Amino acid sequence: MIGRGRARTPTRRQFLAGCAGIASAGVLGGCGSGSGATPPNRLNVWGGVPPGSGPAALVEAFTAAHPGTEVSYTRFVNDDRGNLKLDTALQGGVDIDVYFTYQTKQLALRAESRMMLDVTDRLAGDAELAPYLDRRNPTALWDGDRVRALATVAEPWFVLFNEAARERAGTPLPTRWTVPEFEQVAREIRSDGVFGTYEVPRTARIALGPDYWFTPEGGSNLADPRFVEWLELGQRAIRDGVAYPWTEVLARHLDAYQQNGFVAGEFATWVTPPFSLRYLHDEENYPHDFRVAAAPLPTTADGTGWDQGQYNNFIMINPRSPRQDLAWEFVRFWVTEGARHMAKGGKIPALGNVPQEEVLASLLGPEPDRWFDVDSFRRVLFDEPAQLYVDSNLTAYAEIDLALSQQQDLCWIGERSPADAMAAVAARATAAIDRNRKAA
Amino acid sequence: MAVIAPSGAPAAPTPTRTGSTPSVSQPRAWVGWLFIAPNLIGVLLFTLVPLVSVVLLSFTEWNLVSGFGGIDFVGLENFVDVFQDPAFWNSVVLTLVYAGVSVPLTTILGMALGLALNRDVPGRAALRAIFFVPYIVSVVAIGMTWLMLMNPSAGLINQVLGALGLQDAPAWFASSYWALPALIVIAVWSGVGYAAVIYLSALQDAPTQLYEAADLDGAGAWTKFRVITWPSLVPTTVFLLVTLFIGASQGFGLIALITAGGPGDSTTTLPFYMYQTGFQFYRFGYASAIGMVTFLGVLALTLVTWRAQRGRALHD
Repeated sequence: MIGRGRARTPTRRQFLAGCAGIASAGVLGGCGSGSGATPPNRLNVWGGVPPGSGPAALVEAFTAAHPGTEVSYTRFVNDDRGNLKLDTALQGGVDIDVYFTYQTKQLALRAESRMMLDVTDRLAGDAELAPYLDRRNPTALWDGDRVRALATVAEPWFVLFNEAARERAGTPLPTRWTVPEFEQVAREIRSDGVFGTYEVPRTARIALGPDYWFTPEGGSNLADPRFVEWLELGQRAIRDGVAYPWTEVLARHLDAYQQNGFVAGEFATWVTPPFSLRYLHDEENYPHDFRVAAAPLPTTADGTGWDQGQYNNFIMINPRSPRQDLAWEFVRFWVTEGARHMAKGGKIPALGNVPQEEVLASLLGPEPDRWFDVDSFRRVLFDEPAQLYVDSNLTAYAEIDLALSQQQDLCWIGERSPADAMAAVAARATAAIDRNRKAA
Repeated sequence: MAVIAPSGAPAAPTPTRTGSTPSVSQPRAWVGWLFIAPNLIGVLLFTLVPLVSVVLLSFTEWNLVSGFGGIDFVGLENFVDVFQDPAFWNSVVLTLVYAGVSVPLTTILGMALGLALNRDVPGRAALRAIFFVPYIVSVVAIGMTWLMLMNPSAGLINQVLGALGLQDAPAWFASSYWALPALIVIAVWSGVGYAAVIYLSALQDAPTQLYEAADLDGAGAWTKFRVITWPSLVPTTVFLLVTLFIGASQGFGLIALITAGGPGDSTTTLPFYMYQTGFQFYRFGYASAIGMVTFLGVLALTLVTWRAQRGRALHD
């Protein structure tokens, strides 16, 4: 009778077990896509820029211009983990219509896996977007003769000067200079406890321009002597106390926090892209008492002057999106009318379709004259714009990038000669390129 | 043999096809399944499925982003490549050095500490807890603390070395020669307390009658350690060697946090190389093959260790 009674009325233990089972099923069920069925008028966009730095205003403007449309903007952190999350979501079928890629190594992987919709035909009939079809001055990612991703941002690098240190040294602000002159100025401007620069410019990039890791035939170009010259320049600058000690960079993980050293006056010049300017007008979090001026990147001794930055922040459509027309509307809005909203977050529009003074005001914050030599920034960014580009050969990008950074570290902490370091990079790059070719 | 019903309980009714009467031999088995369901589902999803996936993926080429449709079967190609990969062998050597130095050091120092704490010293309970703390502290806290302590210019360790007259103090994590030794120091520091606690529990089981007999025979401290204590600690030592070696060969957190495998590839041990290959290069098939080879290597070393100690323990 006891057994029968239990069978009819669940005990407390059975009830709890049932609840636990149902709860676990519910929790694990939640590990799925989590997207559910998205209405046809709702776009899911994944980007790395915090909503408050432009995307929220852009989305609001888009939905205002497209009544009845909703946009859900999901921010992912643009590091290895954040990108892995995005890749897993894309691969796992999470409902993503439009997404961004900021790092070239991620761009390489996503391009290789065709996780980007071909937008060539959509661009073809659109005069406003015609620059994206210009292959001589590419602002898009080309896959053969097809366009798969559009750069939204121009990211020219420049050399920032701590004006207090420069004036103390009596060095004129360069408006056009070469790498040897850069080295000389960094040597002059250093003082007791202040290094001349954080890091020397990437002179191999400045000399060789787009796809500088590769020969025209697609092989490794890392045996080019200009790579060794770049490492020699850096090693010499560090050894002579002109550039920041690389042992400190590694020990303090400074590479991601260079701004701290600059605002603390630890080095007087800083080779950096425009997004670093946001730290320099943020008095609350980065207090400092000096103004900052900009000089262009130095050119090679013979005057060659590619930028070490590129067109960047690529926007792309997920080929699995069921709302590709609406997604394209959004992409188009982002690079045209919406670019104004992103400029407020320090992004220089790739199409140059926002008035320069508006971009400058956005970059330099609410009190530009207090923190910056505004004319120098106007001159560097707009009067004599840098020669930007988009890399098109992305073969084995992540592996070559790692090999280069590893050998750069060894060389600049003084444990390996520049020639040996570049020989190691070249060997590894050749092996990686060969393996990719074989796999292809 | 049948289960004996509790006294006074009525005889179990014969099971019927309708299932309205529960079976005696399996009374409501589903209740038991429900109880273990949360754990079971977790183990299946997060242990068994990944385990099987790694085995399968090791025979494929896959970059994750291409989806399941992008999985290409390549047979044993990944394994052939692994054995021809200089970076793999470099990581094997680094792992063996890391484990080969840190594990014996942790074990020896843990035994010494265990023996010391087994004596009647004042504040013994507090000391045991203090030495055990590094083992339970978050790896992030440990990493950040040691990163500051071992800073080449401003770190406490080099300040002390400088005060002692050492002019060229090591750059620790900023040197390809010193980064691995520095990681070994941290691994030993954080593992000694754990080893000591395990040894302490083993020492409680040491045969006291043998010590009494040895005392009667006039044996000295070293003789008692060599003849009684050490043989009684052999199983514990083997256990520690095996588990610490497995742990060291899986060590990832400290390396990822402090050196990211560098400078150069001087701290790219097997787990970190696997991570780089899988999650930075997105070569998941190749990373899985590295994982399989690592697993087989660790398994072989474990079996050899177990076999070597068989029959050497002291029994009552």
